[in-house]
Amino acid sequence: MNSFEYAMPKRTADVFRALESSDSIIKAGGIDVLDLIKEGIAHPQRLVNINSIDELKYIEGNQTTGVKIGPGTTLAELASSEVLSGSYRALAQAAGSTATPQIRNSATLGGSLCQRPRCWYFRNKDYHCTRKGGFTCFAVNGENENHAIFENDFGCVMVHPSTTAVALIALGAKLTIASAKSSREILVEDFFVTPRENMHRENILEQGEIITAIHLPPAAKNMVSYYYKQKAKQSFDWPIAEVAVSMQLDGKKCQNPRVALGAAAPVPMRSKEAESALNNQEVTIDIAASVGKEAMKKATPLSQNKYKVHIFQAVIKRTVCWASDIDPFA
Amino acid sequence: MNKKWVGTNVPRKEGIEKVTGKSKYIDDLTFPDMIYGITVRSDVPRGTIRKIHFADNINWDEFTIVTIEDIPGENVVTLIESDQPFLADKEIRHQQEPILLLAHPDKSLLEEARRSIRIEVDELPAIFNIEESLNKKQIIYSDDNIIKEYLITKGNTDDVWDSAYKIVSEEYHTGAQEQLYIENNGMIAIANDEEVTVWGSMQCPYYIHKALMPLFDLPAEKIRIIQTATGGGFGGKEEYPSIIAGHAALLARKAQKPVKLMYDRAEDMVATTKRHPSHTRQKIAVDENGKLLAIDIDFVLDGGAYTTLSAVVLSRGAIHAAGPYACENIRIRARAVATNTPPQGAFRGFGAPQSIFAFERHLDLVAKQLNMCPVEFRKQNFLQQGSLNATGQKIEEEVRLDKVLDLALEKSQYFAKKKQFAVHNSQKNVKTYKGVGLASFYHGAGFTGSGEVYLASIVGARLTADGKVKVLAASTEIGQGTNTIFSQIAADALGIDYDMVEIETPDTSKVPNSGPTVASRTCMIVGKLVESAVCGIRDTLLKSNLLTSEYTSQQFITASKKYLEDFGELKIFVKYKPPAGIHWDEKNYRGSAYSAYAWAVYVAEVSVDKYTYEMQVDDFVAVQEVGEVVHPILAQGQIEGGVAQGIGYALYEDVVWRNGQMANNQMTNYIIPTSLDAPDIRVFFSEPFQPGGVRKGIGELPMDGTAPAVISAVENATGKHVCHVPLRPEDLMMLYRKET
Ligand SMILES: Cc1cc2nc3c(=O)[nH]c(=O)nc-3n(C[C@H](O)[C@H](O)[C@H](O)COP(=O)(O)OP(=O)(O)OC[C@H]3O[C@@H](n4cnc5c(N)ncnc54)[C@H](O)[C@@H]3O)c2cc1C
Repeated sequence: MNSFEYAMPKRTADVFRALESSDSIIKAGGIDVLDLIKEGIAHPQRLVNINSIDELKYIEGNQTTGVKIGPGTTLAELASSEVLSGSYRALAQAAGSTATPQIRNSATLGGSLCQRPRCWYFRNKDYHCTRKGGFTCFAVNGENENHAIFENDFGCVMVHPSTTAVALIALGAKLTIASAKSSREILVEDFFVTPRENMHRENILEQGEIITAIHLPPAAKNMVSYYYKQKAKQSFDWPIAEVAVSMQLDGKKCQNPRVALGAAAPVPMRSKEAESALNNQEVTIDIAASVGKEAMKKATPLSQNKYKVHIFQAVIKRTVCWASDIDPFA
Repeated sequence: MNKKWVGTNVPRKEGIEKVTGKSKYIDDLTFPDMIYGITVRSDVPRGTIRKIHFADNINWDEFTIVTIEDIPGENVVTLIESDQPFLADKEIRHQQEPILLLAHPDKSLLEEARRSIRIEVDELPAIFNIEESLNKKQIIYSDDNIIKEYLITKGNTDDVWDSAYKIVSEEYHTGAQEQLYIENNGMIAIANDEEVTVWGSMQCPYYIHKALMPLFDLPAEKIRIIQTATGGGFGGKEEYPSIIAGHAALLARKAQKPVKLMYDRAEDMVATTKRHPSHTRQKIAVDENGKLLAIDIDFVLDGGAYTTLSAVVLSRGAIHAAGPYACENIRIRARAVATNTPPQGAFRGFGAPQSIFAFERHLDLVAKQLNMCPVEFRKQNFLQQGSLNATGQKIEEEVRLDKVLDLALEKSQYFAKKKQFAVHNSQKNVKTYKGVGLASFYHGAGFTGSGEVYLASIVGARLTADGKVKVLAASTEIGQGTNTIFSQIAADALGIDYDMVEIETPDTSKVPNSGPTVASRTCMIVGKLVESAVCGIRDTLLKSNLLTSEYTSQQFITASKKYLEDFGELKIFVKYKPPAGIHWDEKNYRGSAYSAYAWAVYVAEVSVDKYTYEMQVDDFVAVQEVGEVVHPILAQGQIEGGVAQGIGYALYEDVVWRNGQMANNQMTNYIIPTSLDAPDIRVFFSEPFQPGGVRKGIGELPMDGTAPAVISAVENATGKHVCHVPLRPEDLMMLYRKET
């Protein structure tokens, strides 16, 4: 770990100033940043702590107006938010199933979206992998049981770690990204970049830019949502497979479904195959199972993770059922 | 003797300090002028060092650099065989072999410096697993890769096979397991040409002491080893700390400054010892009533690159391999083989969990092929008082393993559950399959065979200035409760208050060698010595007429103070004496391997997700006979912890090997169950088999039977015969796939 300067701005405007030099990085809850520094992946000269900025911590609005969330909101706050208990519940479920209670009390939504991959080669200082500027993805021919089953033919086969992103994509959320000079809005599903687009980063943020708000669009009529993850141990763990679903349900008839998969690809991804298998269907256990099958049709598992394809089918089936208030085991 | 303290749940001796954060672990300590060390390791599994290059981006003058040239004595870690160097000379045998040591006042500069050293090596082909070693793909250890071999024979198995009603054979595998103590390894050393002092996290101060004498070519009194508060060990801090202590001391001697050498979690996991992976071949002959006629076991452990403790781990594994069952004809062939992985070492159970897993699983298979209830099958073959076990040891005590079994069956509702689950599993609309499974086993406490005789442990006791009693022993408190139980035992032996007993810090300049804190021996063997030592104090006070045979705690204090006034000091030392009737024939591996066995039956209940194959232990009943229970809460804690660790061994803990080293050496990737993943673990201690307060070790016991019970339950739920651990959901899926 190198020594660094520590900045504690009180307002968002001061953050931009503190971020001007290219070797500054933001610390929100610090859960990932601290690991990155310890693991020798990040070597900041300046750490800018945005955790002290109150104006980045809020949950505003409701299902009719849409909801705006400050990036400094903790996962624990999201998990217990009243506003997120109805149509938006996938986000509360996702936040609540991330990591452990202690971590959720510190970890923020902004940090959760911008955390770096958990690939064990990437995180191990002894492996100089493609994402760190090397020439080899050690997972391709190595231990890849936790790696991607989609988008895994281009130099890096990690899976994006963000659980909250999966729910946000299913809910059609947008981000406001701002820098000292400008501000823009972008759909969460367009925020992440694949290795093909850029091997060395996971999202489109430029130096000096931060996420300043997260927006959930107004909930459509009869909109329901659900998030579920399968993990190796039940107390807390990273997902083997995670799925978020939102849709409008008229009785059991599904419309405008959005199905997002996490731990499947180097980006949290929408499954268009799943969505078209679900759209305009009366949801039943069998339909839900076929949605799972469709979603996995184009999967290209690696040498050790065929198991994930099977798990995803089950997890998608269950998530679709639970979103529609059906017991998947009946 | 009246027992006031033994058998009660007194507060832990060091409990308050621990919960208030006052205990000082090694990384809490700093010394004036202290600098920080780091280990430069090999990055190839096998080869010959040609040259070491120091890149010029670093100002090397600022660093203390220790090479083999800086070793004043012998470059060898003294243990069973002296084959492991502190620093590789020419030859590299595994990827984590230490080659150089660096130290610097600024910790943050160490990592880059380490990376700026390039070891030029002529690489040699390496072997990484038991098959490759047995097939002699490369010869890397003596002339056949065999570190140690034992043969245990009883009767004649060859006479049985032809006439047997049924012969069942199968192979079983167990993986490595990381101890994952909560506190990483670390040491601080101060050293010069005349003397060496080391503080640190450890189980066995005198192992380090013994290893450092030849390394520094110094006599015993010039080496001082002091244990600091230690956050768990599970065997992982039995022998590896000698290496870290040696390294820290070499750096300190060269730097002429205190040196702290702390491993971070990644280094601790990748470089230090783990549980030996195993392969076992089982062949069992039975008659039509399910009587065991012959048992033939071929048990192989992967020892890694150096001998370390493999020979003794193997020995315990072999002796426990045929379990608590009576059989006239037994042959157990046991081998530990060398591979180019970091050496494997001690871990709770010490070889027994591996061989017991294979045997208990195999008994389930034999029962199935006999169409017999696995419980009945086991029960009718249990060892009884007077029977001879595999090594021919006559079971002297009045064993009632059937009673232990009955209690386990009752508490777990085994038969009712079995029926209920059969119905459940036949339904279509349920998420899970459910099952119950069981294992019966025993665990010998103390060192194997003549081990305790060779150790000849010594314990002392002395009076303190305020008239209390202090126990002098090198047995370490590593979270398991040593200090508490010693105090209970001493207080009862003397008939004084628990608070009047103090425990000396394990510091080799202050305590005698009471042997290592391993092999479930502390309570049973050392506890007994504590009793005799403090009785020596009392007898002296009685003899000097300062005390009469009836006395209060206050009178004891008064008498002690008076004694100190009159005579200056009172210190008593006692030495281990083997119990009568214990004979061990090391050459033929026959006789009394242990002076006492703890007996147990464990029952697990699991559910298995039909679609994702995720397995969850829903209930666990652990019944054991351990003689007298000194501290019920601590004892229960030992069992619960061991069961949780056993569940990890069975279902979660997968050491992924790559090129001869652990690839998932991070806690995100190496998964252990947390308390939330553990089921309700229901612990019961059965009535002691013998009167008279015999105590048997319990530390390792729960590690032995948990994995076979859990896997047996999975088998009951799924109908799949599972021959290996860890069993991950994806492995179970493959078993299903294989059939369809
Ligand atoms: C044991 C364990 C289990 C875990 N399990 C899960 C899991 O199941 N699912 C999951 O998703 N995560 C999991 N995590 C990861 C954890 O959720 C993230 O590390 C955490 O959410 C990061 O949030 P933070 O506020 O601490 O971010 P920080 O560590 O402070 O920052 C993370 C990154 O985000 C950047 N950043 C932070 N805020 C902003 C902003 N507003 N704009 C731009 N960039 C920003 C930082 O510069 C940094 O690069 C787990 C972590 C642990 C330790």
